[in-house]
Formats: sequence, C-alpha cells, structure tokens
Amino acid sequence: MFKEYATLLPHLKQYRFRYIAGILCLIAVDASQVLIPRYMKTAIDTIVSGSFQLREIVQPLLIMIALAVLISVGRFFWRYFINVASRRIEAEMRDRLFAHILNMSGGFFRTNTTGDLMARATNDISTIRQATGMGFVALVDGVFMTAMILVAMFANNARVAAWIILPLPLITALILLFGRIVGKLFKKIQDIYGRLSNIAQESISGIRVVKSFVKEDYFFGRFAQANSEYKNAIMDLVKTSGFFFPFITFLAGLSTVLLVLFGGNASIRNKMTPGSIIAMLSYLEMLVWPMMSAGFTVNIVQRGAASLKRINEILNTKPEIPESKNLVNGEPLGDIEIRSLSYAYPGSSRMALENVSVHIPHASMLGILGKVGSGKSTLLKMLPRMLDPGEGHIFIGGTDICSFKLDTLRAAFGMVPQESFLFSDSIRANILFAAPGLDSARFEEITRIAGLDRDVSLFPHGWDTIVGERGITLSGGQKQRIALARALAANPSILLLDDALSAVDGETEERILSALLEERAGKTTLVVSHRISTLRNADQIIVLDGGRITQKGTHEELLEDSEGFYAKIAALQQLEQESCASCGDAGSGEALGEEAAGG
Amino acid sequence: MAEFFDAEPVTKGYDSQITRRILAYLKPYRLFALIVLITLSVSTAGELLSPTLIRQAVDEALVREWYGLDPSAASRFRSKNGSREIVINNRIYVRTSQLAGITEKERTAMEKQGLLDASPSYIFPLEPDREKKEALALRYSQITISGVWGIVPYSLLTSLSPDDAYLLRSQDSPVLGHYALLLLLVLSIVLLSTFAMTWYTNHIGTLIMKDMRLQLYRHVIEQSLAYLSRQPVGRLVTRLTSDIEVISQFFTDVLSAFIKDATIMLGSLVVLFVLNWKLGLVVFATVPLIFVAAAIARVKARDAFRNQRYWTSKVNSFLSEHISGIDIVKLFVQEKRVSEKFGENNRNLLKANIAEMYVYATFRPFVDFMSTIASALAIFFGAILFLRLDISIGTLIAFINLISMFYSPIKDLSEKYILLQSAMASGERVFGLLDSDDRLPEQLPVLADKEAPSVIRGHIELSNVWFAYKNEEWVLKNISFTVNPGEKIAIVGYTGAGKSTIANLLARFWDIQKGAILIDGVPIGQYPLKRIRKFIQPVPQDVFLFQGSIRENIALGLDLSQEQLETAAKAVYAHEFIMALPKGYDTLLSEGGLNLSLGQRQLISFARVLAHEPSIIILDEATSSIDTETEKLLQKGIEGLLKDHTSIVIAHRLSTIRDADRIIVLGQGHVVETGTHSELIERRGLYWNLYRLQNREME
Repeated sequence: MFKEYATLLPHLKQYRFRYIAGILCLIAVDASQVLIPRYMKTAIDTIVSGSFQLREIVQPLLIMIALAVLISVGRFFWRYFINVASRRIEAEMRDRLFAHILNMSGGFFRTNTTGDLMARATNDISTIRQATGMGFVALVDGVFMTAMILVAMFANNARVAAWIILPLPLITALILLFGRIVGKLFKKIQDIYGRLSNIAQESISGIRVVKSFVKEDYFFGRFAQANSEYKNAIMDLVKTSGFFFPFITFLAGLSTVLLVLFGGNASIRNKMTPGSIIAMLSYLEMLVWPMMSAGFTVNIVQRGAASLKRINEILNTKPEIPESKNLVNGEPLGDIEIRSLSYAYPGSSRMALENVSVHIPHASMLGILGKVGSGKSTLLKMLPRMLDPGEGHIFIGGTDICSFKLDTLRAAFGMVPQESFLFSDSIRANILFAAPGLDSARFEEITRIAGLDRDVSLFPHGWDTIVGERGITLSGGQKQRIALARALAANPSILLLDDALSAVDGETEERILSALLEERAGKTTLVVSHRISTLRNADQIIVLDGGRITQKGTHEELLEDSEGFYAKIAALQQLEQESCASCGDAGSGEALGEEAAGG
Repeated sequence: MAEFFDAEPVTKGYDSQITRRILAYLKPYRLFALIVLITLSVSTAGELLSPTLIRQAVDEALVREWYGLDPSAASRFRSKNGSREIVINNRIYVRTSQLAGITEKERTAMEKQGLLDASPSYIFPLEPDREKKEALALRYSQITISGVWGIVPYSLLTSLSPDDAYLLRSQDSPVLGHYALLLLLVLSIVLLSTFAMTWYTNHIGTLIMKDMRLQLYRHVIEQSLAYLSRQPVGRLVTRLTSDIEVISQFFTDVLSAFIKDATIMLGSLVVLFVLNWKLGLVVFATVPLIFVAAAIARVKARDAFRNQRYWTSKVNSFLSEHISGIDIVKLFVQEKRVSEKFGENNRNLLKANIAEMYVYATFRPFVDFMSTIASALAIFFGAILFLRLDISIGTLIAFINLISMFYSPIKDLSEKYILLQSAMASGERVFGLLDSDDRLPEQLPVLADKEAPSVIRGHIELSNVWFAYKNEEWVLKNISFTVNPGEKIAIVGYTGAGKSTIANLLARFWDIQKGAILIDGVPIGQYPLKRIRKFIQPVPQDVFLFQGSIRENIALGLDLSQEQLETAAKAVYAHEFIMALPKGYDTLLSEGGLNLSLGQRQLISFARVLAHEPSIIILDEATSSIDTETEKLLQKGIEGLLKDHTSIVIAHRLSTIRDADRIIVLGQGHVVETGTHSELIERRGLYWNLYRLQNREME
C-alpha cells in the first residue's frame, strides 16, 4: 500500500521543513493542552482546601491562560505549515497530472474518457490532499496526544486511569468498522444516485420519445422507484451513522461514569484529590478525539493509497506517438508527398485508408471529395501526426514527417476540423489561441477573411464576448468561421480545412473563399468539401471512396468523366441551384447534394 | 459533467420567503417533526443534566462539608434549602450551600464571636464499625464523638491514611454508586434520544427530498417540447439532483443542528444562571465578544467559500474543456501555454484554498481560547464566591463543564451558515423552475376524455398552415394538403424546407400560429394531448434508445407478452438479429445503444412504434449513411412498419417512396409540386431531376 506513496516523495521532501515545523507546533499544542488540566487541578485543589489567598489561584490561572494563548497560536501555525503544504502538494499534483495528460496522444483519450480523467483530477487529488494534510495531522496529533495524556493520567493515579480508559479503544475499533460499513453503504448510495440522475438525464434528453409515446407516467414511475430506493439507501446509512456517533459519545460518557465510580472511591480514600478527578475528566474529554482520529487516519491513508494508485496509472503511461531517433532540425516546407499510405484504426479490421498516394506541390491547393466514412478526415489527421502514419509514407520537402520534431511539424499546420471545438473563453482569445501576440492589424485582416467582420457587431461584447454555456450560443457557421480565423492566425505554411465551411451559407462562403485564396497564395492548402463550388478552385482534386482514391484530376478533368462521382455531384448541385432560384432561395442549395453524397 | 460548468451562484443571503416555501414541505410530516422536537429536547436535557449530576456527586460524596453554628445564629440560615442540619453538642451543623449569601465581614465577625466554625468539618455516623471509629477518635484528639455522630475537621480528614479515611467515609461510597448509575441512565437516554432524533430528522429530510424531487420531475416532463428544447439538459438534471440534495441538507444538517445548538447554548446558559447567577454573569460577559467574532467569521467564511467554489469550478471546467478539446491544443502546439494558463488558475485556486484555511485557522483557535478564558474567569470569580461560601466546589466544576458545552457549537457555526446559504440558492433555483410553466395550452373546447374518440380513421387535413419556431421566421408558409385514411404520403424537399416540422406539428409538439390541422375533422388542439399522441406516432430521424434491455425499449412499460413482442419485431424484420444477440430480447443496451448498428437501432425503434399500435405513423427517414446491406434491411423494415397504416414519410432517399399514394415536394416552406411518382416523373420538374440523379447513384 505504501509503495504508491512513493510518487509523493519529491513533494514531501520539498516541504519537509514545513512538515517539521508543523509537527513541532502540534507537539507544543498537545503538550500545552495536557498541561492545562494540571493547573486547573492545582487551582481547584487550592480552592477545596478552603483556606487560601486569592493570589494563590491567580498564578495557575495565568499559566492556564498563557497555555491557551500558546495553543491558539500553535493551532494557527500547524495549520499554516501543514495545511498549506498539503494544499500546495495538491496543486502541484494537479499541475503534474494535467501536464502529463497534455502529452498523451489519441489512443489514450479513447481509453480514458473525459469523465474518468476528471474524476482522477478532482476526487482522487483531493483524497491525496486529505492524506497529506488531515491524515498526517491526525496521525501525529493522535500519537503524541494519546501518549502524553496517558502519561499524565497514569502519573495522576495509575489504577483509576487503567479502569477509566477501558471503553476508549472501543472507539477506535468502532471508527474502523464504521469506515468499512459506511464505505459499502456509501457506494450503494452513489450507485443509486447515479441511476437516478441517469433516468432524469435520459428521459429529458429523449423527451421526444417520452412524449410521442405518451410515456410520462412510465418514466415518472421509474424515476419514483429509483427515488424511493435512494431514500431507503440513505436511511440505511443513517441506521449506521445515526447510531455510531451517539454511541461514541456514550462510550466517552461511560469513561466518565467509571471515573465517578473509581475516581470517587479513590478520592474518599484520600488517594486522589477532587482536583485530580476534574483533571482526569478533562483528560478523558481530550482523549476522545485522538481515539476517533486513529480510526480516521487508517481510513484516510487507505483511501489515499487507492487514489494515488489511480493517479500513478496515468503518470506511468507513456505517450504513444514516439519521436524518431534521427530527428532533423528545420521546418517542414515544400512539396507534400504521400506514398502508398494505408491505415486502420486500432481494434478495427476495416481499412480507413488504403494505398493512398498523392503528390501535392508546394503552394498548391488540393481538394478532397468523398462520402461520409471515405477516409477524408483520417487522411488530414495523418499529416500533423494526430494519427500516426508510421515512417516512410508521408514526406514534406523530401523529409519524412516522422523525422521532424513533433512540435515543429504540428506548428507548420493550421487545421480547421469538422467539429469546430471552441473553448469557453472570449472570441478574441479563441481566435488568438495559437498566436496570442498577433498584432491588431493582422487580427482585423484574418477576421475579415473568415467573414467574421460582419458578425462582430452582433456579439454583445464584440470580440470579448464569451463563447459557450456561460456566454452566447453561436451558430454552427459562426463557430466554423471562428475556427477558421484561429487556424489563419497561426499563419501556417499548410492549411487543412476539413469540411470547414459546411454550416456557412453559400453567399458568405463565396466571399470567404475568394479572400482565402488570396491569403493562401504561395502556401499549401488542403480542402475537404462537399461543395463543388469550393472544390473547383483547387489545383488538383481527389475523390475518396472506402479509403481509396477513385478519381484524381482538376475540376475540368473530373467533369469530363460524366459517370464519375464528382461529375454526378456537380450536376446535382447545379440543378438544385437552378430549381432553388425558382423558389426564391439561393442559400441552402447544397443541402440535398450533401445528403446524396452521404447516402 | 454538468456541475463542472456550473457557474451559478452557490450561496444566497437568508430569504424568509424561500425558507417558508421549503418549510411548507414539512407539513405532511408534522408528527415526525414533533417527535424530533421531543427527542431533541430529551437529548439536550440529558446532555445538560450530566454536568449537574457530576456536580451533585462531588458535593454529596467527594467534598461533603459541614459548618457548625451556634443555635442563636442558626435561625438566619434555617429557612434556606429546606433544612438539612444535624445537632451535635448543642451546635447546629449545616451544609456549606446553606451559608450562601453571607458577607466576608459578617463571617469574620461571627467567627470571632464563636457563632460559626472557621473551617469545615465532616460528619459521620458512628455505626457501623463503631469500635474502630472510637479507636481512631482516641488517636486523633480533633475527632469528637457525640451520640450517634462523629465530627472530624475537613483538613484532618483529607490527611488521614487511606484506610482510616475510608473508615470514616464509608457512607459516601454508595452515594457515588448511586450517581454513577444515574449518569449511566442519563447517558443511555441521551444515546437513544439522539439516535431517534438523527433517525427522524433524516427521515423527514429524505422524505421531503423525495417529494420535492418527484414534484419537480413531474413538472419538468410535463413541460412543452418547445420549452424543454430551450433548456440545457445538464441544468435540468442538476436541479433534479444536486439542488434538491442541498435543500434536503437544510433539514438534515442545518435546521435540526441549529435548533440543537441553540438549545444547548441557551440551555447551558440557563443552567449556569440557575446554579449561580453571579458566576453566570461573569461567563455571559465573554459571550458578546464571541458573537462578534462569529459574525465576522461568518462573512469571511462565506466569501472564502465562494471564492473557493469559483476557482474550483474554474479549474475543473478548464480541465474538462481542455481534455475534451485536446486535439485543438495539440494541433496548434499550445501544450505549454495551456499548461501555463492552467497553472495560473491552479495557483488562484491554491490561494483561495489557503485563504479559506486562514479563516478557520483563526476562528476556531480563537473560540477555544475564549473557552479557556471563560473557564479561567469562572475559576477566579468562583474562588471568590467559594470563599464567601456562595458556591460549592461541585458547582464550580459544573461551570467548567457547561462552559465547554456552550462554546463547542460555535466552532462550526460558520460551516452551517454556509449550508444554509447554499440551501437558499438551491431553493431559489428549484422554485424558479417550478414556477415557470410552459405546457401546451389546450384549445377550447377540449373534448372530454369520454367524448374524444378512442379510435380514429386517420384522416389528416392541413389547411393554410403557417408555423415559426420563433418570432416571424416562418418555417412553413401556407401549407395545405389532405391525407385520407390508409394512404401513404411522402414529403420530399431540401434540408430546412420544413419537412421534419410537419412531423412535430402532427404530434402536437408545437402549436401552429395560423391555419388549422384537422384529424378526422376535429382541430388537433381539441383532442386531449395524450390521446392524440397515442393515435399519431412520429418516428424521428435520430433513434433514441434508453439504457436497459431491448424488451424494455420496445415495450416502454407496456405489458407485452413475448408473442406480441415478437410479432412487432418480426413485422419490421428485427426479430432475427435480436435473437442472434447473446441474450435475445433481454440484451442490455449500453449508453446510447452503441453495441448495435445504426440500422439495427432503427429497426428496434420501428418495433417500438408497432408495439404501441398507432393509427397514423409519421416516418422521418434517417439521413445518416448506412451500408448497402443495412439499407436493404431497413427498406424491408419500413415496409413492415407502414403496412396497413395511414402514413406520412419524410423521405431523404427517393427510392423508398416510389409506391407512395402521393408525393409532396416542399421548398422553403411552400408546397412546390404534388402528385404520384409517375405523375411527377412525367412532369419532368424538380422531382424528376432529383430522382434521376439519385437513382443513377444507387446503381
């Protein structure tokens, strides 16, 4: 179990002085706490004696207050030393985990879902913090406190002390047992809660089905059942926890009863002063917490180890895409050469790409047409090695892309993926994602190219409008154009557009395209599109079907093959445009063509 | 993941209106609430009783002091506290507590005149062990024996050997046993009543949680589709789950704890004053300071908590967002910058966490310190009062105990206050949702359940229908057509032409703005909503299957026999592949039904429709691509689905509708062409062109 904690060693080492200082503070606090009843005893015994001067009790009282000050200051400082250290370790672990996650490649994210990674970065990290913070404190505090109190009690009256502490180890045993039982019950509660929220989630997501089949009552019934089970599961836990904590109070009280009995009888035999009994009473009160914390500590340390194991699993995973051994310096520039490239996704027997070869001259534009699932996106992802083509298949300027440093290779590309993912940050920050230092003139230019200049007045806070759940909801077209601007901001030598303007209306697309062609003069561009109006601008067009290239040529060349896929799609889109002119719409003509291309 | 993006306020100031509404849920459980109050009172009383029992034990058994008085002075003290006095040698002995109220001056004066003993004595009965006690009296001249009593000065008693002391004090031992037993009894009562209190508090809390959650769920699913499509699903789920959870905490953790703490604090103060009001005042003097500190800590803790929550959710949403968007980060080689930005957020969270630590690191030790100060003050002034014989040592000890009882609830007062404020914020959101009502209005006059036909023929008429999802953005413009019972009608047109909208309107997910939709000649709005949806079954493009077995997904709670189930599945050619699955109809579908192909999921949804026996089926064909084999399977499935039903097919693949009775071609919300397949082909219009092109592609 403890070997999992090895991951924490460098962090613990870094904060060793804090921990040592914290331990010293804890010991000082514990010692002072144990001393207070002693002075209280002196004061009370003085009072009981009946004949005393007031100043005789002032002295022990002043010492008591001085000790109380020491305790308060000490308590502040152990928290300052240890809690801050544990919080820092928490932050560092989170940083470390995230940095590691950032270095992982595609396969890792297929096996580890966002939800799972989030659970590790939140719950597990916080459990580790508890182990390095409260767990540690409870351990040190428990050990010292118990030892000192026991010494004090036995010094006071060994026989009485031996009797009255009898019920206390039971408290530790109970807490340990409690941790086990509660762990199980709690898991059950969590499971039912998960089911409950799942039913809610599902029936609201699928509300169309619920309503169209008039199944409101059916789902209400299912929800009600899970809801009742959830209530019962909580009450099962209450059965245990509702009994445990009062029972611990009872056990502590039992010690007091024993004290009255044994201490009292010792006292009437003059073996113990009334002040000692009061001191013992205080000691007993103080002992309850360390007895409970002993149980907690074991639970926290165990859970911490389990969480660390889950964290270590991530930290020990190596990135999948290795960098080649013979790296070349320099940037990828020049013609792109793809040679008999084949690829199948891990775990799939179907070839996503099969023997694809194409030469893309520097500063040219390649158009790609194909049905859904024909391998277009897969091909584009190979170039910046988001998917690994393996050595000997893709060359830029004559150099195998695997020979470039991964960062250098990717920096040469700008990609606008099919799903335009934006971060919930300002529109400006999204556009400047890859080029935070872009000057404002260039910013204006690329937003104009991406056709965003007209939209900006519609955004409530202009470029500083926040995107996403907390901000405005953008249309698909707006998202795509922001993603385009983001790719342009990096001024990449190779631009990859993966059906990047599908949600943009025809007129805007025309505008964007002409500006984009001008912008990309002298640079390479690869465009996946369903629209012939886009593809016709390309210097060379390939048609993909089932991972193979079925047609290759210029727009004119491909049109000549009237039975070819390209020509058919072109004719269909031409027709739509004409018939749409008759129903007064010039915008959505491409839609049916897309469906045809897809079906 | 919803909670990671939850940027809603986490706390809200106390709001009496929200509290009243939350408390209203308590009404059905008044009896339980009464039990809680009773058990709470019992346990509080028990907890307060323990220190007083210890006090009694000390005063009655441990420090049992008597003072001798001259009979002439005795009358003054006689009226007090009944009369426990022993007359020995013409001197009246009373307990210390009976001398309370005497001033220092009087006392010294009386002592000088010999009216009052200067120091306390201990009085013991001569029996049993009379000889031994008499022998002891012979050894110590200070011990006097008179009649059945013996008197020993307290100072001598406490310096005797253990055996000698026990000989004189044997009467005290059973008293100790008596109090120990009483204490045990009180502890047991506290144990039982605390358990009962916890049990019933949680019982109430969870019952209310259950009621509220059901009410809210019912409310949500009854809302119109138009309303629900505007709400992020995650937010509604959060309302139903965590918000309700927080409100239930109001009952389990806040309300009962507040009452308990308040009664303990108030109770211990009352007992302090009853025991000795002067000393009570001394302790009370420290209270204002602690309340000022608590008030400050409350505000600081709330701010720290808010800050902590803010940065926690910021860090979490940053994390989850950048894990989801990891491709973008990698594509643009921004690992380093993103990592730095994360570090910045992370540091802010660290700061917020440490700031929160400071609040508690200052407040809690301060409360402990004040508790010790109060004890020290109590001992100091207690000593003065003790000298004046105003209080007994037992009372002083009880004070020390009660002071720590008074101070301990203050320590976590601010945490409870934060819980209260969170409950207020959640309450506001839940009630906000409950108060918004957007169900489809019934159109008058609604046919009563009995009047509404239980079977319809299946005649549909749309006349001059205008519809917009929002404002005046018309999706359907002046659409009219009729479907006769048993007919199969197809609608074709571009994406966005309004095809799917027609399905939505016929299932009355939305109401039209202008025109009329008549089903069997009756306006659709006049049917009870649930009745019309049983007649007309839309089959949407996107198949939605629930987690659970295939059987459950087809039946959706209907009580279907295996035979009925299979009939429905066989009709749409789904039976074969279902039987090929490991557990047949009982195969569980994972999230989103991912272990089945798209076509198979479609077929299951077809079987589901048939099992529900609708009169009219509106099929919205899926646009997604499928392989040729599934395509053929689906084709057969659709044939089976539509057989013997009045149907409208919203077609994307023209090949499926060749046999339709009529085809309606929609364009931009208008009807462009209408006719049978052959009529439209002959017309050589848009349909003809579309058909020719698609057909070629199919080959």
